[in-house]
Amino acid sequence: MIARVFLRYGACAALVLGLVACGETDQTAKTEKVYAGKKDERAYDNKLFGNDKKKWEATMAARTKPQNEYLRTDSK
Amino acid sequence: MARMKFICDAERCIECNGCVTACKSEHEVPWGVNRRRLVTVNDGKPGERSISVACMHCTDAPCMAVCPVDCFYKTEEGVVLHDKDLCIGCGYCFYACPFGAPQFPQAGAFGLRGKMDKCTFCAGGPEEDNSAAERTKYGRNRLSEGKLPACAEMCSTKALLAGDGDVIMSIYKQRVQRRGKGDEVWGWAMAYNRSDAKPQVAGAKT
Repeated sequence: MIARVFLRYGACAALVLGLVACGETDQTAKTEKVYAGKKDERAYDNKLFGNDKKKWEATMAARTKPQNEYLRTDSK
Repeated sequence: MARMKFICDAERCIECNGCVTACKSEHEVPWGVNRRRLVTVNDGKPGERSISVACMHCTDAPCMAVCPVDCFYKTEEGVVLHDKDLCIGCGYCFYACPFGAPQFPQAGAFGLRGKMDKCTFCAGGPEEDNSAAERTKYGRNRLSEGKLPACAEMCSTKALLAGDGDVIMSIYKQRVQRRGKGDEVWGWAMAYNRSDAKPQVAGAKT
């Protein structure tokens, strides 16, 4: 009886440990780098877009999507 | 918005160098500096493929990690840029980059190395947008005009795609799905999925 309980808890512990071992470790290099140069403006922070991000994104999307010529040639 | 990315479809690239020329012309890149270039494998043999290579604007950019003066930064859109006023032209970024993107112009006699120059995704640099200073140091800022990089817009076969990573991935995915074949198939018919097209080169399959 005691052996069965030990076996059950042992199996549970092994399962938990096994799942923990499957965890993904962060492989990104940890650097303390901080940009030391001049601040850049945002792409939409100008006269043309007036700091309107949505407008800029819509303009970019209108340029990006037509790269798919299947949209122009046919829809098969 | 997702990150700005390039994808080059090796099945479509015809090695025309249109992207290289567009980049050179758009930014008036000096002699000896190639922000974008073409790499061809199996040149002249069946199965030959070309790919257009420039800065890939890495998500975890190694050039940023190794720069001793921290002159690199990343924009909101994921474009990796640098401040030429800080760059000391040491060349560490060139060694770190897996794509050979950083380029160094000759700054004087005896091969004196100038400040690093690389693809900006046509996003200029940390000078005032569309100013003369930005134009001289980094080239034209097309992104602030709501335009895509000149190389991708110039590509005649649309092998080189640029823009929001999610959008260009979906375009490329659709192409691959339409091809519906494996890596062993190549050529004109493969690239454009024309069932009536005949192989142009001996050895090419459809």
